[in-house]
Amino acid sequence: MSALTVARERLAAARRLLGLRRLRLFELHGPLPGATVIEDLVHRSTWFYNPHKERCRVRATPRSALEAAAGEQAVLVVERGGARRPAAERWWRHETGAAIEVCEATTWLLRFESGEDAAAAARALAVLESLGRGLLCNPNAQDHAIAAAAEIPLPWIATVGEGE
Amino acid sequence: MSPRVAIVQFPGVNCEAETARALRRVGLEPEIWRWTRAASELEPFDAYVVPGGFSYQDRVRAGALAAKHALTETLVARAEQGAPVLGICNGAQVLAEAGLVPGGGGIELALARNRMPGRAGYHARWVHVRVERSHCLFLSLLSPGELLPLPVAHGEGRFTAGDPARLQALVEAGQTPLRYATVAGSLASAFPDNPNGSEHAVAAVSNARGNVLAIMPHPERAQTAGALSRAVGGRWGERRDAALGGVPASAAVAEAEPAGPGLAIFAGLARHFGLPVDGA
Repeated sequence: MSALTVARERLAAARRLLGLRRLRLFELHGPLPGATVIEDLVHRSTWFYNPHKERCRVRATPRSALEAAAGEQAVLVVERGGARRPAAERWWRHETGAAIEVCEATTWLLRFESGEDAAAAARALAVLESLGRGLLCNPNAQDHAIAAAAEIPLPWIATVGEGE
Repeated sequence: MSPRVAIVQFPGVNCEAETARALRRVGLEPEIWRWTRAASELEPFDAYVVPGGFSYQDRVRAGALAAKHALTETLVARAEQGAPVLGICNGAQVLAEAGLVPGGGGIELALARNRMPGRAGYHARWVHVRVERSHCLFLSLLSPGELLPLPVAHGEGRFTAGDPARLQALVEAGQTPLRYATVAGSLASAFPDNPNGSEHAVAAVSNARGNVLAIMPHPERAQTAGALSRAVGGRWGERRDAALGGVPASAAVAEAEPAGPGLAIFAGLARHFGLPVDGA
């Protein structure tokens, strides 16, 4: 049973939820090379994604293409105090000699039936409040942010986390 | 007739068999109860265990989806009626995500990703937990200060709360009946004795009434002395060696072995129902 099925069956705010996709979002900060070199490094590494079951897209500017479809809402969930990925940073330094900061968080892409107030429904699904309300972010350990999926900010994790 | 205990098996749970064995050893009547059955059929049981594993593949967060299941509503209702509910590892995550612990209303805790120096993710090892003052029925056979060697195996086991004072308040209220400790018995503030960075070294949280317990270590994996790691010393190590008698652990007959440190948690449940608990 998928998270989508559970959400639709158990949460009022998800009754009109049609799609629930999970993205692993990485942000790299520091002395970075050009986009082509970044792509080559990311695709070559095992620290960022598994090419046999995942796709990876590099966004170098806020205008870069997104995975999101029109009308989707994006909910970013950041582990409070735990977004940094030291192992990936060590790999990057080993490969390039450059010290950069790698952060990771989860982004959920929510697609609702037309006519639904998608932003309001996304807000209601975002933060776990009780058995019947909220799912994606447990506020006891995580922070969140919501945006129209077509307008996912860059950077985003750094604006939500505590600036580790 | 022995009290009946439902072992609630959500998809992805993988510790149901050894949990059933532990319950049977202390005289209880376990039944592995799959999630596909109607929630109403769960109500007549005398007690409940949500065992370890990876319910719903840990999607969203460990325990998050199982906490939304209709069966969990039944567990909440039965816990309010006073029925004992034990959540082990993934089961503890379910109870925390459902607000069954600490049970003050709302969702007050998270079992967040492990924090370990120089590493990340899933971590398994034997640790020591110290019994704290509490009136949790599962700990009724143990004395404050007692040390138990138990195994942990999880990626999200760090008790934390949105309110920084909440866990300290739970400690003071006697709702943290087990805390990670060093082999000498002092609270474990650092890895590896505190295996996940849990705040205030909390290894288990109960509700105020003491009938619900969420415990991250696996007592069912330490139900026999012979199951203890070779790394465990002290009196429990001696009991292990005596139990094995020089025979490799794989050849030991588990059912005939002396009780291990984890069995006392299940024996506490048996005692709650008035069963004799000699040897646990």
